[in-house]
Amino acid sequence: MTTHSEEGSLFSSYKFTDWPTVKEALIAKEIGAVFILAPMAMQLRLDDVPVKVCYLGHRDGTAIIVGKDSKIRDFRDLEGKVCAIPSRFSNQNVLMHRMMREWGMPFDSIELRELPPPEHPTALLAGSIDAYIVGEPFAAKAEVDGFGRVLYHTKDIWEDFISCVLVVREDLIVDEPELVQELIDGIAKSGKWLDGGMEHRMDAAEVTANHYYFQDPELLKFVLSKPVDRVKYTNLAPLKEDFDEIMELAFEIGVLSDRIDFEEYVDDSFVRPLDEIDWNMERLPAAEEGR
Amino acid sequence: MKLKVLLGATAWLLLITISHIALNIGFDKLAKQYRVMTGQERGELIVGFLPVT
Repeated sequence: MTTHSEEGSLFSSYKFTDWPTVKEALIAKEIGAVFILAPMAMQLRLDDVPVKVCYLGHRDGTAIIVGKDSKIRDFRDLEGKVCAIPSRFSNQNVLMHRMMREWGMPFDSIELRELPPPEHPTALLAGSIDAYIVGEPFAAKAEVDGFGRVLYHTKDIWEDFISCVLVVREDLIVDEPELVQELIDGIAKSGKWLDGGMEHRMDAAEVTANHYYFQDPELLKFVLSKPVDRVKYTNLAPLKEDFDEIMELAFEIGVLSDRIDFEEYVDDSFVRPLDEIDWNMERLPAAEEGR
Repeated sequence: MKLKVLLGATAWLLLITISHIALNIGFDKLAKQYRVMTGQERGELIVGFLPVT
């Protein structure tokens, strides 16, 4: 548990391992907010769960990875191949379909196989898949371990790609808007701080590796620095044109049960310009302690 | 007789209420909710994450 803000509110994180549990926890009001995949958030709302997307978790931070010695050189070379995706509700799934359309390929020309993200690198190494698309740090894992290479970073094929969004319970938005504002300001400030310099990113890698993700800090340092715009933490306001595009494609490929209007599932009233947010954070305290 | 019924009903109600709090809510959680409602403590927000990307 972390005292997360100068105002003194407590924000604690809770890791989920599957989608139905997230839904139940939101309905039972066991959690106030959750970072989930963008199409998942839309489907939650379509399933009448009273939540709204209030902010993004990050932009970009996903890559298509192929074997280091693979003959796959461009997207068309994936035709007839097996590519792992993290979930059918992921925007990575939507992106693969978007790319297939862009390259004039039928939607069934690549076999998309759902695999839990930690299994993507090992499946590639074992040869059971030819490629995978996933968020960090699992994309970088194959690169760092020397058996994979990046075919495309999302920043090069779908600029400002959205993967995770922050979903907040509607009753909290109505009853405790200050608390929600504090959370969103905190995410915005953290993002601004992260994008403020390499030293900050290295500190963040240490903290999250040791306290949250339990990953190798060197892997996270690689993710946050090679290249530095591999994952971006600013420009996190949910924008209608971005979400409409995701929604339309997700509906078209059968991920969403119906179309849904942006206003029905998004509340962007908590988004404030970064220069209006004043938060003097020189360094992360936990990073200092960890040294 | 009426007093006995009233006292019995009150005792039963109390017993059921206390059992409900103990089994389904928890006294700690209730005390915390009270402190938040009376402004003695700020609310806590649990933020979940699903690491599937």
